[in-house]
Amino acid sequence: MVMATSTTRRDRPEAANRLLAYFIHHLQSLIFSLGKIYTAPTTTIMTVAVIGITLSLPSGFYVFLKNIEAMSGDLSSSTQISLYLDLNINETVALKLSKKLAHQANVQETKFISRDSALLSFRQSSGFGKSIDTLSSNPLPHTIIVIPKRSSDRFVIKNLLNSLQSLAEVKLAKLDTEWLERLFTILEIAKRAVGIITLLFAFAVLLIIGNTIRLDIQNRYQEIIVTKLIGATNAFIRRPFLYGGLWYGLLGGIISWLIVELGYLAISGPLERLNLLYQSELDLVTFSLQDFIILLTSSALLGLFGSWIAVAKHLNQIEPK
Amino acid sequence: MIEFKNVTKRYEGGFEALRNVNMQLDDGEMAFLTGHSGAGKSTLLKIIALIEKPTRGQALLNRINLKTISKNKVPYIRRNIGIIFQDHQLLFDRTVFDNVALPLTIQGYRYQEIAKRTRAALDKVGLLGKEKAMPITLSGGEQQRIGIARAVVHKPMLLLADEPTGNLDPALSREIMQIFVDFHQVGVSVLVASHDLSLINDLQKPVLTLNGGQMTHNDLQPIVGYQS
Repeated sequence: MVMATSTTRRDRPEAANRLLAYFIHHLQSLIFSLGKIYTAPTTTIMTVAVIGITLSLPSGFYVFLKNIEAMSGDLSSSTQISLYLDLNINETVALKLSKKLAHQANVQETKFISRDSALLSFRQSSGFGKSIDTLSSNPLPHTIIVIPKRSSDRFVIKNLLNSLQSLAEVKLAKLDTEWLERLFTILEIAKRAVGIITLLFAFAVLLIIGNTIRLDIQNRYQEIIVTKLIGATNAFIRRPFLYGGLWYGLLGGIISWLIVELGYLAISGPLERLNLLYQSELDLVTFSLQDFIILLTSSALLGLFGSWIAVAKHLNQIEPK
Repeated sequence: MIEFKNVTKRYEGGFEALRNVNMQLDDGEMAFLTGHSGAGKSTLLKIIALIEKPTRGQALLNRINLKTISKNKVPYIRRNIGIIFQDHQLLFDRTVFDNVALPLTIQGYRYQEIAKRTRAALDKVGLLGKEKAMPITLSGGEQQRIGIARAVVHKPMLLLADEPTGNLDPALSREIMQIFVDFHQVGVSVLVASHDLSLINDLQKPVLTLNGGQMTHNDLQPIVGYQS
């Protein structure tokens, strides 16, 4: 009944085997912690759902902002400069100037609007027809619409505007970008707001996961005591909890991705129409593969970090008595 | 194996659980530790198992000072000891096999080795057929034998048992004690705390008696020069 080798210690694992066993144990902890999650589905689903919902807010904002930004980029490329010419310039000279400007660098094309046609369209569209009739002469100047090359950035457009303004025939060169500038500023503010929201919600996820792992540690108090008495190192005891946090974070990340994708589906109809109204030919976007990987990596890391905090705080306090 | 020199343990609040205790358990020796409850038996075992530290005096395990050992070395010292508890301390969320295999998993053995040794340990306590059972489905005596299998599976140099037969009937108690005697016969040092005096008398092993924290009877070889 008793083995003769009971007291010999010659067959302890060798170093190479230990290293292999170390990796195997890491793998075991990884799968074991996933198994724990599987055996307690209610708690897990609730925790993961809370994490997912929490993460879906910043990531949803991110996708929203991404679309708005793409849209506004498209709008800025349709910038045009209106040149209101001097009233005493006749149509032939104005037309010649329009053609000349069309060949300039940085200019895509020009459109000439004669003062007569301008008055006509103004009369039709403004509803001031009767009051215009009372005027003795046409108050509108000839107008040249200059459309800059698509690739031009704001600097190039500003320079172009200045050079056009300095032309003798031009009374006023007007670049209608003020509202664009405002939009860009608002976007900048929104971007920072999303940054702050992301930070806050990442912190919330840390707290959620930290608290879940803390409860997990309390539930397995007895197990921790016993394994410590048998000679488990703190690292050994820590491992399954850390991997548990990693799983919570990763699954929460996947849930948040699903929420954003579903939310996108829900609002894509009106968004598409808005897009059409702005005459933009832009494809609406959700997460790119890169965004997806970043989302899952960061949520998994948040989970790992959150459980690390809980483990560092609570595990070392548990000692056999 | 174990050396206590003038060991005193005073708990917070001033209660002295051990007072100037001297003892020496040689390699491969077996002894019983007796005394009324509260006499200091558990405290003595806890000092050896590095659960408590002595307030004064010197406690050595394999010439390692248990008072000054650093915290991160504690797990590695404990791996030389097999501890058996009165209440088994089994983990009820896993099988008998996984319970017994735990010390080997902790020490990083490979699965084949773990399986071989775990079955050998279960065979020794006569529970080989129960490896897939959950501990909760077994009787008190069987649970205690699982606890013993877990304590010996990694072939420790020293077995400590705290009232291992406390909850068992006399026949089962005798069986359990016989397992300890068997381990002693193959060279393991064994220290069993028990107040089952009739059983202890039958087994004819050295006895240490504690009374109010003092060692009043010591069959083991005394440590010369350290008598209080």
